[in-house]
Amino acid sequence: MPSTPENLQPPPSPDELKRNAVIVVPAYNEEAVVARVVSDLLHHFPRVVVVDDGSADKTAATARSAGAMVIRHPINRGQGAALQTGIEFALAQGARYIVTFDADGQHQAGDVIRLLEPLIRGECDVTLGSRFLGEARNLPASRKWLLRMGVWFTRWVNGLRLTDTHNGLRAFSRSAAEKLDIQLDGMAHASEIIDFISRNRLSFREVPVEIHYTEYSLAKGQTTRGILRVAIQYLLDKVVR
Amino acid sequence: MNWFQLLVLVVLVLALLVTLAATVRGWATRREAIVWAVICLAVAAATLEPERLIAPIARALGIGRGADLVFYTVAVVMLIGFWMTYIRLRFLRRQITLLVRQLALMEGKRELGDR
Repeated sequence: MPSTPENLQPPPSPDELKRNAVIVVPAYNEEAVVARVVSDLLHHFPRVVVVDDGSADKTAATARSAGAMVIRHPINRGQGAALQTGIEFALAQGARYIVTFDADGQHQAGDVIRLLEPLIRGECDVTLGSRFLGEARNLPASRKWLLRMGVWFTRWVNGLRLTDTHNGLRAFSRSAAEKLDIQLDGMAHASEIIDFISRNRLSFREVPVEIHYTEYSLAKGQTTRGILRVAIQYLLDKVVR
Repeated sequence: MNWFQLLVLVVLVLALLVTLAATVRGWATRREAIVWAVICLAVAAATLEPERLIAPIARALGIGRGADLVFYTVAVVMLIGFWMTYIRLRFLRRQITLLVRQLALMEGKRELGDR
């Protein structure tokens, strides 16, 4: 929305911007990669929150020694739940911009600043990373088609024209994040966030980002069966709500 | 009495005994126990006297056979039961998540303080 008081202020300096942004990293059993992700992010931003979603491994300790603020779900509640917890924590910390960033190493810390730029200029409330506007390295063909289906699914359900609906890299202005209340604990939150944007008529923009697929991130990612389950859960929830 | 009726009666007696034991131990309230007992007695009556108790209702509803009436009723009741259980489960999951979130936030604020 173009005329919140925030937007009338002079643009913040890069340092100020970095202090005002909190990066939220939901992590479940990611001890192998979370330290690198955190230190890459800390290189650009001083405030990184890792939400350890009840991991059985040393995710929390590893992230903490890498320099992140760590909060812990005592039991696993799913990525959507972890994101909401992290966002609420970031708001309590006074964040003016909140970025969500996957813990599996597929996102690039350098992309975050490009996601924040439109928010700082007050051009929109939410920015969404898109691998199809940017570059997806080592993206397998099957995964590409699955993501295409996600895009069509969203177009059909919400009527929003997006190029990448299931990208974990997103940025919210404070006022948008305050309205967000992710209720789908599992992976269907990606569609839920898009619903949220369309329902609240938030202005958004897709920003090209790079996704690096590694054997690790692909193994941690969704299976085709998992995605079907997510779609069913999402549609069922729409009926119940 | 045929073998089927005997089998159903044995199962119902066992169910009543379990209900009684649960009530004595305080796992079920008296009201729950009474509701269960009434259901068990109704099933027993319907099993022993299907021609007098079930068949007339089935004919009045235009279903024909008593067994069909029982089958349709069970299908509908189970469907409603599954749906209610799903809603209940969903609600419980939501409450657990909210509880876990509060714990995480409290702990986090205690450890890190409000910056």
